[in-house]
Amino acid sequence: MELGDKAIGFFLLTFSFSLFAYYTFWVVILPFMDGDHFVHKYFLPKEYAIIIPTVTGVAVLSFLMVFIGFIMLKSKPKAL
Amino acid sequence: MRHILKIAGLLAVLLAVWIGLLQSSLISPQDALLLPVYLIIALGCYGLGMVGIGLLVFPTCPKEALLLEKDVAEAKAFFREIWGGCQFP
Repeated sequence: MELGDKAIGFFLLTFSFSLFAYYTFWVVILPFMDGDHFVHKYFLPKEYAIIIPTVTGVAVLSFLMVFIGFIMLKSKPKAL
Repeated sequence: MRHILKIAGLLAVLLAVWIGLLQSSLISPQDALLLPVYLIIALGCYGLGMVGIGLLVFPTCPKEALLLEKDVAEAKAFFREIWGGCQFP
């Protein structure tokens, strides 16, 4: 169990760092490059830099809300 | 309270820099509009990474757990000796 937790932690750390690096390159560094540079073909168009985070955020938020709702439904009401 | 002032100051500085970037034509406004989204993404990545670090370095003490188990067994044996016939789970 302990090893699994460590693996999950390592995966989270790697994922967040790579996401940060990719997004930084996409949003901050790419505007300063020439329009016909070859790195442009490794990145989606600029609109997706807003669309993907928005969709992800809405999905995560709704999942959290549904999860909280399930927890509240499952927990027994306190006897008054 | 001082902490919140620090954060508010940092946000004000970032806002000023952003408005300056929007006003000046250093980079195109289309790119400058993306920077707040970038800030949110960076914050999310920081949070996720912190959770990862917390999971990675979470302290466990297997030696102490073994000692505690030994203590529990000892205590159970002791009380069984005192109150013979009682059932312990």
